[in-house]
Amino acid sequence: MAKVYNWQIGREMDYPYEGKRPEKQFGMIFDTNKCIACQTCTVACKTTWTTGRGQEYMYWNNVETKPYGYYPLGWDVNILDKLGVQEMGGPVYQGKTLFDAAPTGEVILGYLPDDIDYAHPNIGEDDCTGLMTQGAHLTMPHMQWMFYLPRICNHCTYPACLAACPRQSIYKRPEDGIVLLDQSRCRGYRECVRGCPYKKVYFNAHTRVSEKCIGCYPAVEGGRQTQCTMTCIGKIRIQGFLDAPDKVSEDNPLDYLVHVKKVALPLYPQFGLEPNTYYIPPIHVPPAYLRQMFGWGVEQAIATYRKVSEDPKLLGALTLFGATPEISHYFRVDGDSVVGYDAKQAEIARVPIKEPVVIREVYDSKHRAFRTNIT
Amino acid sequence: MRARLSAAVLSALVFWACGAEAQAPLTAVRVRGAGPIVEPTASVWKQSRAVKVAMLPQTVTPPQKPDAAIKELVVRAIHNGGWVAFLIEWRDPTLSNRIVLDNFGDQVAVQLPLDPKGAVPSPMMGNAGGRVNIMQWRAAFQNDIEVGPPTVQGLYPNAWADVYPDELMSAADARPYTGALGLENPISRGVATAVLDQMAEGWGSMTVKPDQHALGRGTWRDGVWRVVITRPMVSDDVNAPRLLPGDRTVAGFAVWEGGNREVGARKAWAPWVPLVIGR
Repeated sequence: MAKVYNWQIGREMDYPYEGKRPEKQFGMIFDTNKCIACQTCTVACKTTWTTGRGQEYMYWNNVETKPYGYYPLGWDVNILDKLGVQEMGGPVYQGKTLFDAAPTGEVILGYLPDDIDYAHPNIGEDDCTGLMTQGAHLTMPHMQWMFYLPRICNHCTYPACLAACPRQSIYKRPEDGIVLLDQSRCRGYRECVRGCPYKKVYFNAHTRVSEKCIGCYPAVEGGRQTQCTMTCIGKIRIQGFLDAPDKVSEDNPLDYLVHVKKVALPLYPQFGLEPNTYYIPPIHVPPAYLRQMFGWGVEQAIATYRKVSEDPKLLGALTLFGATPEISHYFRVDGDSVVGYDAKQAEIARVPIKEPVVIREVYDSKHRAFRTNIT
Repeated sequence: MRARLSAAVLSALVFWACGAEAQAPLTAVRVRGAGPIVEPTASVWKQSRAVKVAMLPQTVTPPQKPDAAIKELVVRAIHNGGWVAFLIEWRDPTLSNRIVLDNFGDQVAVQLPLDPKGAVPSPMMGNAGGRVNIMQWRAAFQNDIEVGPPTVQGLYPNAWADVYPDELMSAADARPYTGALGLENPISRGVATAVLDQMAEGWGSMTVKPDQHALGRGTWRDGVWRVVITRPMVSDDVNAPRLLPGDRTVAGFAVWEGGNREVGARKAWAPWVPLVIGR
């Protein structure tokens, strides 16, 4: 095992290969406070990439309700249970990663789901933690709660699927950090399915090899965001590139939100994979649960997010979500607007941070009609 | 990584050295006839002497299956001057030829050094410069040939999809939606034979050869697999061994019990067995 540095857990850790970061790293940020689980992202991904035979059950993108939704069934609670109770303190995580916890003869601690675990893609949908008794009212954080968790492959810096494959069928692209599975080289051992704690590699029983999210690389190569990002009607996502923490660029919206404002957090950082999709945690959910899921920066992230109205630059970065199909490599706040720029610093989006308010008269004299109370 | 690999290869060779002492040699008896020998129940097998081969769980490189199910193979070998064949028998109470996420297939493989007269390669799929020929029979491939290739409806009778790309487009346009099949990944389907003719130079290097010469067939009855794997003794394939009557070489074996979720490196293997090609 080589020693690699994982900034999310603040320390070096064991990994089967030498640590070499890509030139730039594919990344995505989700604002869970805005997601309504409409599954438009899921359908966009499905119709683009997984309409073939053997792919029927594959959701490279899915949205599940937490805490009782999972795809496949129990994916996170199963591996958390196998990992056991760990000390979740930061900024230096002292517990075991999944690589640290690998049993003898294995590269990583993992498990292979059963086929039946994929039988209910939207199990637990909208299920709340409990009932509100008569007369109760919600306080913050909510005493009964649920939230939506959109998920794609994390295109991890230290992918477990890549580490677990005994024949190097999985590779991480040096140019953008996207993790791909070579359909010609795979022999269908399913070690990647077993190893990935997020269960974002799927076995195709029709072709007898495994498949996974490709980060919409043809779009990304053309400067456009992924299908799941572009089609998000709630504008909860932004996709772009992330720099390593020692090369942070404050005018890169992803760097700004993840590294500077620390408002977006990785999913289960304790697993040790340095996943590259990041979540703005839901503000109404008890922090104890969120700390397990997103790490020890949860309270700070929520506090920062709740004061976003006082921070024009942060508000500007969040306003870029869903503002353009293209990838914003840079951004700046220009007066009342936020401006996104492509890799060549050309302007690709200009969005007012505060939507203009237009008040229309109840009676439209030109058309001699009353307007109903709609916006 | 390289240091770990070397240590593992060394330990495998030590295993081989120890195992070779106890292992009875396998003699490919010359029989009459010509052409491929693929029938496991043919009477010609009575002319050969059965050799018991003890199987070990693969515990040298990850991933491993310390509780690999198959402990012993019974192997016979014959040749007819043109084709050499191995009949491999083992007890397996579960027939596993349906491949889905949590179902793995029964498999067995014969390994031969590419150069029967050269230095003996590592028994664990060869080593850099020590290339081996690995012929792997797959129960799922045999099922493909006998019953037909897998279909979604066959694997999951209650599955339903409105429409597939290949129902709307030409085969060429629908090809990007077919994944490994569209790329003709040889692992996806058994085309003409249930045996994959492959070569390797160590772990992770297994490659299906462009020229496929190996054939075979298996029968599963009363909880016993009887599988024949056969290949031409001489061919124009530079990645195939050249075997002549009187040659002395070695053969290796590996077996996977699909019902025990064995696949890839999670298998039982045997150190080299001395192999004599009868005159």
